[in-house]
Amino acid sequence: MKSIKILMAITLLLSFTACNAQIKNAKTESVKIYGNCGMCKSTIEKAGNVKKVAQVEWNKDTKMATLTYDPSKTNQEEILKRIALAGYDSDQFLAPDDAYAKLPGCCQYERVKKTEVILTEVVTDHSMHNHDSATDTKSEMKQEVKELKVVFDNYFALKDALVKSDGNLASAKAKELLNALNSVQMNKLSNKEHTAWMKVMKDLKFDTEHIEETKDVGHQRDHFNTLSDNMYQLLKVSKQETPTYYQHCPMANEGKGANWLSKENAVKNPYYGSQMLTCGKTVETIE
Amino acid sequence: MDNQKNIYEKLLPIVVLLLVTTNAIAQKVVRYDLYVKDTIVNFTGKEKRAIAVNGQIPMPTLTFIEGDTAEIHVHNRLKVSTSLHWHGLYLPNKEDGVPYLTQMPIEPNTTHVYRFPIIQNGTHWYHSHSGLQEQIGMYGSMVLLKRTDDLTFRKGIDDLPTVPIILSEWTDYNPDNVHRMLHNANDWFAIKKNTVQSYGEAIKAGRFKTKLTNEWKRMLAMDVSDVYYDKFLINGTSESQLSQFKAGDKVRLRISNGGASSYFWLTYAGGKITVVANDGNDVEPVAVDRLIIGVSETYDVIVTIPAENTSYEFLATPEDRTKSASIYLGSGIKQLVSPLPKLKYFEGMKMMNDMMKMDGTMNDMGMDMSLQQMDMNTVMYPEITGNKEPMKKDKMQKMENMDHSQHSSVNSNIVTLNYAMLKSPTKTTLPQDAPIRELKFELTGNMNRYVWSMDNIVLSETDKILIKKGEIVRITLYNNSMMRHPMHLHGHDFRVINGQGDYAPLKNVLDIMPMETNVIEFEANLEGDWFFHCHILYHMMAGMNRVFSYENQAPNPLLPDKKWAYKKLQRESNELHFMFQNDFATNGNDGMTMLQNTRWSFGTEWRLGYNDHHGYESETHIGRYIGRNQWLMPFVGFDWRYRKQNGDFEKNIFGQNNTKDNRTQLSLGVAYTLPMLVIFQTEIYHDGNVRVQLRREDIPLTKRFRASFMINTDKEYMFGLNYIAGKNLGFRTHYDSDMGFGFGLTLNY
Repeated sequence: MKSIKILMAITLLLSFTACNAQIKNAKTESVKIYGNCGMCKSTIEKAGNVKKVAQVEWNKDTKMATLTYDPSKTNQEEILKRIALAGYDSDQFLAPDDAYAKLPGCCQYERVKKTEVILTEVVTDHSMHNHDSATDTKSEMKQEVKELKVVFDNYFALKDALVKSDGNLASAKAKELLNALNSVQMNKLSNKEHTAWMKVMKDLKFDTEHIEETKDVGHQRDHFNTLSDNMYQLLKVSKQETPTYYQHCPMANEGKGANWLSKENAVKNPYYGSQMLTCGKTVETIE
Repeated sequence: MDNQKNIYEKLLPIVVLLLVTTNAIAQKVVRYDLYVKDTIVNFTGKEKRAIAVNGQIPMPTLTFIEGDTAEIHVHNRLKVSTSLHWHGLYLPNKEDGVPYLTQMPIEPNTTHVYRFPIIQNGTHWYHSHSGLQEQIGMYGSMVLLKRTDDLTFRKGIDDLPTVPIILSEWTDYNPDNVHRMLHNANDWFAIKKNTVQSYGEAIKAGRFKTKLTNEWKRMLAMDVSDVYYDKFLINGTSESQLSQFKAGDKVRLRISNGGASSYFWLTYAGGKITVVANDGNDVEPVAVDRLIIGVSETYDVIVTIPAENTSYEFLATPEDRTKSASIYLGSGIKQLVSPLPKLKYFEGMKMMNDMMKMDGTMNDMGMDMSLQQMDMNTVMYPEITGNKEPMKKDKMQKMENMDHSQHSSVNSNIVTLNYAMLKSPTKTTLPQDAPIRELKFELTGNMNRYVWSMDNIVLSETDKILIKKGEIVRITLYNNSMMRHPMHLHGHDFRVINGQGDYAPLKNVLDIMPMETNVIEFEANLEGDWFFHCHILYHMMAGMNRVFSYENQAPNPLLPDKKWAYKKLQRESNELHFMFQNDFATNGNDGMTMLQNTRWSFGTEWRLGYNDHHGYESETHIGRYIGRNQWLMPFVGFDWRYRKQNGDFEKNIFGQNNTKDNRTQLSLGVAYTLPMLVIFQTEIYHDGNVRVQLRREDIPLTKRFRASFMINTDKEYMFGLNYIAGKNLGFRTHYDSDMGFGFGLTLNY
């Protein structure tokens, strides 16, 4: 009997110390945190909790959170900052827009709008000048539409899709390119263009079909390699309004290197996308 | 008429007087008094020694107007010598502040006066050039304002409110100890940062083969930076607010990176960052989403506060992304910017494997990299290349194929600044007819022994490089090492040949990434001895330096014996580093101690039993590391052992006799690092005996477990397993063929 009493006392003592061990000299505060649902609750609490330092309990109906923390180790600001970085606004912090955007649909609570200031931009003479010249080139570009222009434009659209590593988009763009290839009227081509066209037409269609058929970007890129080489043959003999840049990445195609065409001199690599976006250089400028 | 003339006559002297006074004001002397004192700081909850100037860290911001004369009185109240270097300034050589190169160190309890005319404008900074003092507080902003009547004064830029910002980092460890630990390939910092990249972690990430290849190529796990820091600081604090700004305000931040070894990413919650100057020189405004500021670089940026009652976070994240520092611009609720996600280290390791040739040099695969345009580390950035690391082994093959395509949440729209985007608003061409002096440097390094050099030569192994006044010095730099280096030239700005033609930007620090080749050029127009070095403090102290010295220059009154002083300078960057380790085990003591510098190694190992049967033995080696990779080390050795064994002989595998007891021998030998970092050691003793040995220490099994083994032709062998419990403490169990099984406590320093 006596031993049971002792045991009980010990258990009681242990449970007390266990409670105390959780958060020392705990301080409790109540703050508002914006959110919607039960899913928000677990995200908010998980972001705020630190073992033995801080604990958060959020009520989805009142949007109020109870913060319990050890003031010698942390403060309200630190806890709320962590929660804001997980996507939840409070009266102290606004979550980064990308963190908010990443929240599941049901958690995207209504945010308090910031009052944006409309900035009156003072445009310097220098940039005005640029604007003028830009409109100039635009008016110049309104010339007769070249027969192959649609083909090239669709090729560039396909290239941009590969830069983004977007297999679905690339497939769609390949379809448009295929349509363009099929509707080329050979009698409208110049002599040089015609000769080149006859040489590469079959391969162009072959590669484009394969890119359209799959959504696997790796496979699409294999075909894009040969497609680009053939497109280059064609573009070289076709007169361009604006320069086109023939670019080369030595790492692509398993280190054998691969080329592509671009309207921009700045390198955006369609073989790697964001992973090595700027790998490569312009090897030829086709005017 | 007469009257009028009279008036003119009377007015003239007044006008002249006025002109003279404005002139006098413009050329005024601006004096600062700086008191350098030891202090105690508490950044982390622990009290540590630091150095404060006028009682503050960072040092006070010094402001001058172009045309002023600076007069700075430095009162050294430390117990050691000090110095101050004015980073990025054109000034007489004797004011440059490099001890033993341009002046004698400022001794304790003395005052030194720096006095020089301010003949430029822009954002600069200043710091101690003595030892590692820069790490513990001796850095500060230095703002040289443009005169409002300056022809290059830019409305909308130069008239904005400005805030000096100086970035830095803090470590609770003594920087001398940090320096020593780096040289001893101590991986405690990696444990603290959770970047050990052990075999265990590799297997878990499905990257076993990557790790194996990495060690096959004799590389230790790498990080983008080497030192573990407790705190990162903006103007001396991790979080601060500038509430004086309101919605619609544009603010010009004059940012200097005063960190000793950290590059910082800069991001802003309120939209684009417009870069308007770099290293104190104006550039054409360019708007970016983020930029990286190299150690000791400066950038002037303009940011806007877009909305009312909101303050926007300006975030500085060190390259290793372990922590960060924020400053909020504006007042009200704080709009945060997303922190940069953790690096994908095994992606980086894989990249490194591809780029590293078996002979330890880098292979750029024909990419002609330059000007920060192609950041190979991008493979490690989740915000650009997606979050997914292949998790399971069976998935690995599949992932390998899709590698470059299937990453989710990729973002190729982030605009990151690079050097090719910098363009000077004015022509920066150098005189056409000046003779051109071409120089080439290959930046070289050895991560394993923390040796950093140029052309595999450290400062202590080379003379000053003589240049002539009036010539154009054109330097081609190729980084053949595994880390990036911010190369800084004293006393001059150089042009960075970056495709902007006549408008090439002027800089005084050039960040050069691994495998990049960059060309810089400057006109030799300021006589003196000028330092050219890597501004990562620990690389500089390892000897990655050169001195450009003008031929036939006038003597420096502050440095009467230049030859002697240069020897002192050389010695400072080739110090001996001490290391000690002992395992107090149940079967004896195992230990070693070593003194090493760039090329030499003096080491002793011992195995001391607790009784005569187990015996006592020691081996001492004095060796010199050969070659760029330092895989080869010939040495002379001295062995001594005593063991009670009743006069038995043992035979080695070559059939040579070998007494185990009472042996004193001299030897000649050679140690060579094999792939997998196994050390192959062959020794011949003076009695003709030969011993061949294979050995590997510190095989990283998990974050904290290290395995080791040794086997030799005397039929001795050893296996060990070590658990790293703390910076200087471990638990070790091992089996030794002489002493049997043991368990013990390891102390190391």
